[in-house]
Amino acid sequence: MARLIRTEKEVEGRYTEQWIVVEEDPLDRWPEGPLEVVGRPAARVDGLQRARGEARYTADLALPGMLHAAVLRSPHAHARVRRLDFAPALEAPGVRAAVGPGDCDVLVEEAGYQGAPVAALAADTFSEAQAALARVGVEWEVLEPLLDPDEAVSRGELIEEASRYERGDVERGLAEADVVVEAEYRTATVLHNALETHQAVCEWEGDELTVYISTQWIWGVRKDVAKRLGLPPDKVRVVCEYMGGGFGAKIDPGDHTYLAAELARRTGRPVRCALTRREENLASGNRHATVQRLRAGAKADGTLTALEGEFTMAVGWDGFVSSTAGPMKMLYGCENVRTVELGAKLTTGPNDAFRAPGFVEGTFGLERLLDELAAKLELDPLELRRRNGADADPVDGRPFSAKNLAECYRRAEPHWARRGEVRARSEGPWRRGVGLASQVWYGGGGPPSYAWVRVGSDGRATVLTAMQDIGTGTRTAMAQIAAEELGLPLERLSVSLGDSSRGPYAAISAGSSTTPSMGPAVRAAAADAARQIVEIAAQRFEVEERVLSLRGGRVVSEDGKSWALEDVTGLLEDGQILGKGSRGPNPAGMRVLTFGVQVAEVAVDVETGEVRVERIAAIHDVGRVVNPLGASSQVEGGIIQGIGHTLSEQRLLDPGSGRALTVTLDAYKLPTIADVPEIVTELLDVPDGHLTSLGSKGLGEPPIIPTAAAIANAIRDATGADVRSLPITREEMLRALREARERAYAL
Amino acid sequence: MSARTLSRPASLEALDETAVPLAGGTDLVPLVRDGLVEAETLVDVRSLLPRGVEPGGIGIGAGTTLADLERSGEVPDALREACRLAASPQLRAMGTIGGNLLQATRCWYWRLAFPCYLHGGDRCHAREGEHREHAIFAVEPCASAHPSDPAAALLALGAVVETTRRRLPLAELYRLPTEDDRRLTTLAGGELILRLRLEEPDASVYLKAMDRQRWSFPLVGVAAARYGEETRLALAGVAPIPWALGSPADLDAATPLPGTAYKVDIARALVGRALAAVR
Repeated sequence: MARLIRTEKEVEGRYTEQWIVVEEDPLDRWPEGPLEVVGRPAARVDGLQRARGEARYTADLALPGMLHAAVLRSPHAHARVRRLDFAPALEAPGVRAAVGPGDCDVLVEEAGYQGAPVAALAADTFSEAQAALARVGVEWEVLEPLLDPDEAVSRGELIEEASRYERGDVERGLAEADVVVEAEYRTATVLHNALETHQAVCEWEGDELTVYISTQWIWGVRKDVAKRLGLPPDKVRVVCEYMGGGFGAKIDPGDHTYLAAELARRTGRPVRCALTRREENLASGNRHATVQRLRAGAKADGTLTALEGEFTMAVGWDGFVSSTAGPMKMLYGCENVRTVELGAKLTTGPNDAFRAPGFVEGTFGLERLLDELAAKLELDPLELRRRNGADADPVDGRPFSAKNLAECYRRAEPHWARRGEVRARSEGPWRRGVGLASQVWYGGGGPPSYAWVRVGSDGRATVLTAMQDIGTGTRTAMAQIAAEELGLPLERLSVSLGDSSRGPYAAISAGSSTTPSMGPAVRAAAADAARQIVEIAAQRFEVEERVLSLRGGRVVSEDGKSWALEDVTGLLEDGQILGKGSRGPNPAGMRVLTFGVQVAEVAVDVETGEVRVERIAAIHDVGRVVNPLGASSQVEGGIIQGIGHTLSEQRLLDPGSGRALTVTLDAYKLPTIADVPEIVTELLDVPDGHLTSLGSKGLGEPPIIPTAAAIANAIRDATGADVRSLPITREEMLRALREARERAYAL
Repeated sequence: MSARTLSRPASLEALDETAVPLAGGTDLVPLVRDGLVEAETLVDVRSLLPRGVEPGGIGIGAGTTLADLERSGEVPDALREACRLAASPQLRAMGTIGGNLLQATRCWYWRLAFPCYLHGGDRCHAREGEHREHAIFAVEPCASAHPSDPAAALLALGAVVETTRRRLPLAELYRLPTEDDRRLTTLAGGELILRLRLEEPDASVYLKAMDRQRWSFPLVGVAAARYGEETRLALAGVAPIPWALGSPADLDAATPLPGTAYKVDIARALVGRALAAVR
């Protein structure tokens, strides 16, 4: 029976309550460990298509008659349009339409950041559109930029009201402490720079709009576009079959989609609006910079008595204040905690979600602080963390659905024990050391999410669901789950996804939620189909249902008899077995979180400030692992992105004008393959016994969270220098080394 | 791209003074695309430029790619290493040594067309702005940093440049900008580098500090070449032009900006290592 319940929904750490209809999830839990298909390494089902260039991304789409949009963006950090004259641009070759403020509500007259969209036009080719842009007459009134987050806070320029949190009595906790440490940590603004830039192609057919878009959430785009354009949602079809990366910045439709839709409406032609790499670096979201003023107190035995943090975030002209205080509230069982989060409104590009927003930044501060505390206490940093574990959610006392952080620490021991040998390999100017940092994050997913499974007379099965695979390999994971339930080899599964008109509602791919949201729905749909196959086989072969199961592509009876699946489904000729499934509720009253620890080994050239990350061991608990191969590549991707933020990536602005200086990939320095260390991935692979019939959590975000702190802590181990600011460029490393030398002389 | 056409001249000597020659194009094409080089016509000189390394009193054709040089057994270690540590394999496969010596600065203000001193404006935006990648010598009136690794190596190796019109020491190919002439080279319009000549050193080395392990311009590059008792030093990434260093002590005369002081520390360490390596 369908059941109506009120449930808590979490995305990226933000909770909302909502009504949902759930079907019971009566499936037995699978046993722990690798099964026939689930839990075994599987190459990507679409790997060859991607490698051969056959996979069609939004960027590959060329519809007949398609026009190309170019967007006039503010060259100033803060300016007002005094006058806008399209006439010369409309006469330029190939130009079909132009829109300005008032024509489409994403276009603004007051530009609050460099790159804010002011006007757009559509032409036959992209170069014609770009050439015509230069002919738009525009007169700017340049206004004062505001770039410094502390200054914005002191002026009261906040994105939203300060977020305050307090438990216990911090003053008392500090008074009771034997040791108090206090420091200021900083992280830089960093950019997603997905391989595929933000883009959409919009096409109207009558009053129906099709949006081809590089997105992390087909259904969110459908809902937002329908609402903004005043259309019934069923008149909006959203398609994203292959996607070249999002990292959090491709959840909303974005300005480009609304511009393409409006220009398509005006011209009666499909219109592509794709950001260039430079636009991508200006106006497609970022991880906001932070300033973290932190304090910790502890007893001589390491028991934390107080944690306190003031977090200032350089949010931008718009955006959201990500929960940088989250790790301080959630990671340790400290009784006295006080945090305040301030989101500065600046004349810079709006931030957007970026792979564990807030927690990456906050973990850098907190886990550096814990290491400084361990040094002052003369306590082993791993032991300090062990002594402060939380047995229940420290914020509201809820039990965890599962928490195996202690086991992660145990598995970290052999890596941590390498530090004597690693340090001993220091030679000449190169000093080596080992550091670690813990991780807490969400990742439980949730309802609603649906899937269908179709089994044909040829004994092949297709999973249909209008979810998206944003490049993480969920297409493969869903095929594995359905194959397991249907007792089919993986190669007899297909997955049809990426089109809102071709399957049921599916969850967002953000907040490490795709597998835990969609996996149980796919399993339920496959189980529904499997049940029907067994029922049909029982009738056809005159055996009892309870003695039948599906294994190895066959219907197998307990007495040893078996029939090929196609001998059962083949009876139906053109008929099909149709299974449907939905995601059940999350465990009531429980906190579903992911945990882990990373151990980094670094080498530092103390004369030139060069930092080389030599090895990272990543031990994470994300419940059942569906595809160990896909999972390890998620871990590697997270760590590599983390190394970029730690060592080389930062968006730099001209302090006078507020214009961005690092808008190309030679200036904005992502890590290259030569910067990638040895990465050792260890996943506990223990199903969460309270979370769905699958017991899986998400893995997209956890691996990037502790990387920066683990590296910085390893640098301290190697050199005695405290790095408190990201990225750890040569100048920052040399500054910290100089500070450490001066401290040593002073003693 | 503002350039409309590509012409193929009969000879290199006949180029007129407004000609914009195209060889590897790895720097020129982006500059034309970004409107930083205005050219109605690009002159394709690739097939006319000498390419390859002539051994014994080494001669290097200007059309020799960096990839050719990093694989050559004929060129001194400093040059080979400077080529190997430059750019990416794709760029090295296209980029020529002649073009590499003439590449424009990576100064973000210049690249983003701020009206800076080098563009003919009245001030250097980097001096009061973001300048962590900028100069420690000759920071006035323009604090840009020369990005070529091979240029520093060739300067230490005492390379002589043969152009379509003259022979000159590499050091004389470069000039600091002045009030009435903002150019950073002495090459005349239509003049092309044809060949480089250098003497085999007894030992040479190139060391480079960058923001990541590969595909990054030098924060500091140090070339050292020893000829008998004499060792010559040259630096990349520290001045608007490749910078010859008379002695390690000359680093004391550096005049870094607040954000480039760290480069002096790096240069000191790398100069010490380079001298030890060629000893």
